[in-house]
Amino acid sequence: MEKRAQGGGSQCRGSHKLNFCPISLLQQAVVLRDAEKKELPADQLVVGDIVEIKGGDRIPADIRLIFTQGCKVDNSSLTGESEPQSRSCDFTHENPLETRNIAFYSTTCVEGTATGIVINTGDRTIIGRIASLASGVGNEKTPIAIEIEHFVYLVAGVAISIGVLFFIISVSMRYKILDSIIFLIGIIVANVPEGLLATVTVSLSLTAKRMAKKNCLVKNLEAVETLGSTSIICSDKTGTLTQNRMTVAHLWFDNQIYSADTSEDQTTQPFDQSSPSWTALSKIVTLCNRAEFRPGQENLPIMKRVVAGDASETALLKFSEVILGDVMSIRAQNKKVAEIPFNSTNKFQLSIHETDDPQDKRFLLVMKGAPERILERCSTIMINGKEEPLDSEKAEAFQTAYMELGGMGERVLGFCHLYLPEKEFPETFQFDTDSMNFPSSNLCFVGLLSMIDPPRSTVPDAVSKCRSAGIKSAALIPKRFLLLKTGHCSLSPSTFGTHLSLVQVIMVTGDHPITAKAIAKSVGIISATSETVEDIAKRLNIPVEQVNRREATAAVVNGMELKDMSSEQLDAILREHSEIVFARTSPQQKLIIVEGCQRQGAVVAVTGDGVNDSPALKKADIGIAMGIAGSDAAKNAADMVLLDDNFASIVTGVEEGRLIFDNLKKTIAYTLTKNIAELCPFLIYIIASIPMPIGTITILFIDLGTDIIPSVALAYEKAESDIMNRRPRNKRRDRLVNQQLAVYSYLQIGIMQSVGAFVTYFTIYAEQGFLPSTLLGVRVNWESNAINDFEDSYGQQWTHYQRMYLQWTGYTAFFVSITIQQPIFYFRIGIFFKDIVLVILKMHQLKTNFPFIKMGVSPPDYFLNCLSKDSKNKVIWVGIFSQIGIALILTYGLGHVTALNFTPLRFQYWFVAVPFAILIWVYDEIRKLLIRRHPGSWWDKNMYY
Amino acid sequence: MARNTSTSGMEGQLRSPSQKVENKHEEKVQDLDREKDEPKADMGSKTWADLAGEMKIFLWNPEERTCLGRTAKSWGLILLFYFIFYTCLAGMFAFCLYVMLLTLSPYTPRFRDRVSPPGVMIRPYLNGFTIAFNVSQPNTWQPYVDSMHHFLAAYDDKVQEEKNIECVPGQYFIQGGDESEEKKACQFKRSLLQNCSGIEDPTFGYSKGQPCILLKMNRIIGYRPGAGVPVSVDCRVQKGNESHLRSVDFYPGNGTFDLMYYPYYGKFTHVNYTSPLVAMHFTDVQKDYLVPIQCSLNGKGIINDLNSDRFLGRIIFTLSIGK
Repeated sequence: MEKRAQGGGSQCRGSHKLNFCPISLLQQAVVLRDAEKKELPADQLVVGDIVEIKGGDRIPADIRLIFTQGCKVDNSSLTGESEPQSRSCDFTHENPLETRNIAFYSTTCVEGTATGIVINTGDRTIIGRIASLASGVGNEKTPIAIEIEHFVYLVAGVAISIGVLFFIISVSMRYKILDSIIFLIGIIVANVPEGLLATVTVSLSLTAKRMAKKNCLVKNLEAVETLGSTSIICSDKTGTLTQNRMTVAHLWFDNQIYSADTSEDQTTQPFDQSSPSWTALSKIVTLCNRAEFRPGQENLPIMKRVVAGDASETALLKFSEVILGDVMSIRAQNKKVAEIPFNSTNKFQLSIHETDDPQDKRFLLVMKGAPERILERCSTIMINGKEEPLDSEKAEAFQTAYMELGGMGERVLGFCHLYLPEKEFPETFQFDTDSMNFPSSNLCFVGLLSMIDPPRSTVPDAVSKCRSAGIKSAALIPKRFLLLKTGHCSLSPSTFGTHLSLVQVIMVTGDHPITAKAIAKSVGIISATSETVEDIAKRLNIPVEQVNRREATAAVVNGMELKDMSSEQLDAILREHSEIVFARTSPQQKLIIVEGCQRQGAVVAVTGDGVNDSPALKKADIGIAMGIAGSDAAKNAADMVLLDDNFASIVTGVEEGRLIFDNLKKTIAYTLTKNIAELCPFLIYIIASIPMPIGTITILFIDLGTDIIPSVALAYEKAESDIMNRRPRNKRRDRLVNQQLAVYSYLQIGIMQSVGAFVTYFTIYAEQGFLPSTLLGVRVNWESNAINDFEDSYGQQWTHYQRMYLQWTGYTAFFVSITIQQPIFYFRIGIFFKDIVLVILKMHQLKTNFPFIKMGVSPPDYFLNCLSKDSKNKVIWVGIFSQIGIALILTYGLGHVTALNFTPLRFQYWFVAVPFAILIWVYDEIRKLLIRRHPGSWWDKNMYY
Repeated sequence: MARNTSTSGMEGQLRSPSQKVENKHEEKVQDLDREKDEPKADMGSKTWADLAGEMKIFLWNPEERTCLGRTAKSWGLILLFYFIFYTCLAGMFAFCLYVMLLTLSPYTPRFRDRVSPPGVMIRPYLNGFTIAFNVSQPNTWQPYVDSMHHFLAAYDDKVQEEKNIECVPGQYFIQGGDESEEKKACQFKRSLLQNCSGIEDPTFGYSKGQPCILLKMNRIIGYRPGAGVPVSVDCRVQKGNESHLRSVDFYPGNGTFDLMYYPYYGKFTHVNYTSPLVAMHFTDVQKDYLVPIQCSLNGKGIINDLNSDRFLGRIIFTLSIGK
């Protein structure tokens, strides 16, 4: 692809960025210039050139057709719909994408010939403009980037305020200005969460890796989280929600509609095949079909074989192959003697065959086509294998069935046959298709078959998971229980329960509204009970205008309507309806829809596969392209690629994205807490002039040494069971770091940790001879190089170096204290106790109905069962042990490297801060208990984050 | 914004007669864009005024009577909460320290591993380890002399006789009994320093260009220097011409710290303890030169060659005596 784009020359200007330019370097065009036909490279075409195209050609530019003969084009590169569309010279629609007389650059002429005038070349073609539209759409900041930025502002704000405050304090305490400035810088630096960047990156990478295993290729790391906060998914239909393959969906024979299996890997068809009518119908389906399997695919599953032939015939071929087995041999047994292929004027296809019954010398005439045309030619209808006259009642039944199938957005074909009388048509009879020397009316109508591009089997489930799966279960689990387990739900209590709409799925397709609506219904984008304005009007028998728009939850919006809408009207639609389908949309309109959704404050995910989707993919907060069906343009514009085209992976993505947000919250709470424990000593050092409690190098060792692995380990935290039941995060309200989280980390837990560490610090000094009272105000003399007989509380005298060595011991002790208190964090966020609490809760619930007895399981077994179900995060243990391990290595292994300011520490000092660690844990449990006991109280509002 | 310009640029190129239909469609699209972009631009220009307004409301919201987003009641509660919280925390802190201090002896620190072996200091000490003066200019050496007198005031023979006892030289003065009992201190009379006592020569030789410098060893509770053999002092030129330092006299004895002054029992029980001194009389030092001198303790258990600590068992100072 790249090579082509580079070589594309003038045709490709401006689209390098996107690396797509669907034209080959060697593409030639037949041009009429100077009254003679010339073969020119396509990039030399100019507006006004007359070009000739024939079946198989790529259209070399946007052309208006002036002569056509059975011309059909495949616009899939543009619209994503692979169904060939016929082209003529007639102006049929004022929308250029809809009108019949324009063929677009980069699309393919499938059959027929045409001559046209070039109206646009290069970047000015529709496809070129889509390309520049896509490249013109700026990349906006991902939600996680915004959140991190918000966090950085917060930290910077805190750092600078504390810095300035202490600058003022130190100046008024008569420190030298230079010293005060150094303090200022020191405070600001101490506030920097050095490890955070690494942690965020690692978390995102881990998730990306996890998602890659599930066939989601994440191109933009930050996009992972975006998916989690997604509130609207705009999905393309063809190829994304559907299989992009015509498949037989329904049959009608014997006055009855049967449905066929439309799943991806059908091997049998379950409907009733015992009726003789079916036998007749199957024979027509098999014989009146020109499609053939390409050779050499015998080992492939039928559904995966490549077929030469158009989409409907392919569908019929595969359908009959599945039911009847070897179609080709059946055709060989029923030798074809004459055939009239399908064309758009007579709208039927006819063929005449010998029968496979050697006794029966009659010829069989089979015919298929547009149902109304077929019915016109029939005088009888086959019911249960018997031919019965086609009276008005039967015709009525046919009409009902036809309407019903058509109403489901399916393409319906009628089938009829006639056994030619042996007398009139002996074995040697020469059939002439031009003079039609055989009957083509008064035939026997056999049945209808309807086809649709069916939804992928995984899609309905995924859509329902996105939309509503959680509501019920969320309602069942008391909110306080969720809190208990997580303590980190991103939703605020007041909003929970009031607005439970989850991720909204909107279908945006280039396909026909009826088909789109049918597919939307079948995959659950429009739920079974909801109605559109038109449905309500029909039900109540009133004009559309009189319907209260608010009553209709669903809406199907046509591209033509969208064109005439102001952005306010579009906003109103997006606001008022929860189930929306946009049909017949152009690439630009897709973009407008995405922008409209974003105006509602939603985080928008767009899924798509075609070139036409690429601007919207780029504009979306997260673009998701299909890996197999997707065009390169779509993949380039997307942030994420579903390698297996499985829409269900999006649900995984949403889950992972939410998980990342939760885990980052934990990580940040973890980082902030320790930050205060690093900052406090410095502040006390300035105010109380005590020897420095913790050194810069030591701080760095905490941030980048001991704390990295545990905070990364938090990224391995498993998802809470309610994660998919939550409302999508509100971009404006649910911040990564809110006031409560910051206050809680900074002013409560951080301070407690510092106090714990200070106890260790004072203990070290006191046991070496410097009682706390002696330490206050000693800073200047303590740090003086010249004073080498510094007197301690006992009258002993210390050299400068001896004091420094003691100070380093203090650093080490402070470091160890923080290290010892940090793992308590895991207890705080309830990782260890989550499971136990869960079990206790379950047991509590079960007390009333004694299920142990019913199940025959003893309570301890039940307890263990519950525990093993939620497998614990083993990486957390790795985190804890690595933290303590690194601390041990630093203290005892590197304790003799003076440059690192670590000294070997007496064993007992490791435990001085333990009471404070316990205090922190107890305090946090009390906090959570009070929040649970008194939801909505002052405590809840101030302590819940 | 960039998007909009690119779209309109595209529009310009598009206007060809054959494309009227298309353009109509496109214009609609662009209209939408324009409508959308305008409020955006508005938002951009409003931001600062908005921010100021929001800030004002945040600082004081007259409608809800909130300051910094909290009502008076809310502020009261939160301050009360933090008052109680921090009081409890301070209480816990004080309690922990109290318990820790209870375990300590008031007379002997628990660990003495960081303070020994002893460090060394000199007197006079003004503001560095360079002793520089001109013999002919008394004001250059007078501060040193004053410092010496001040320091030696505690060693006046009278004071020592009054407060301290005479001890048996040549052996440690070990005082048993209870830890809390007051310990006696040995006399260290100024007169022991002879020429450097400042009695005969109140200028300690500074007026003659032969300065006296006192050397003392840091006090360490329970430390017994030299393990039975008195610790002695010697001086030499540190990194330089050895001949610059031609003769040094040491008092008392040959520059030794007598064992009877050890061990030290701590400032609470050993109230009148005066550190023994060694006076170094630099009788012949090269004049008009910066002479770096290192004086070290020598004895068993004394470390005087640690690179990282230049005051451990030794001291380095510079003499610069001018005429």
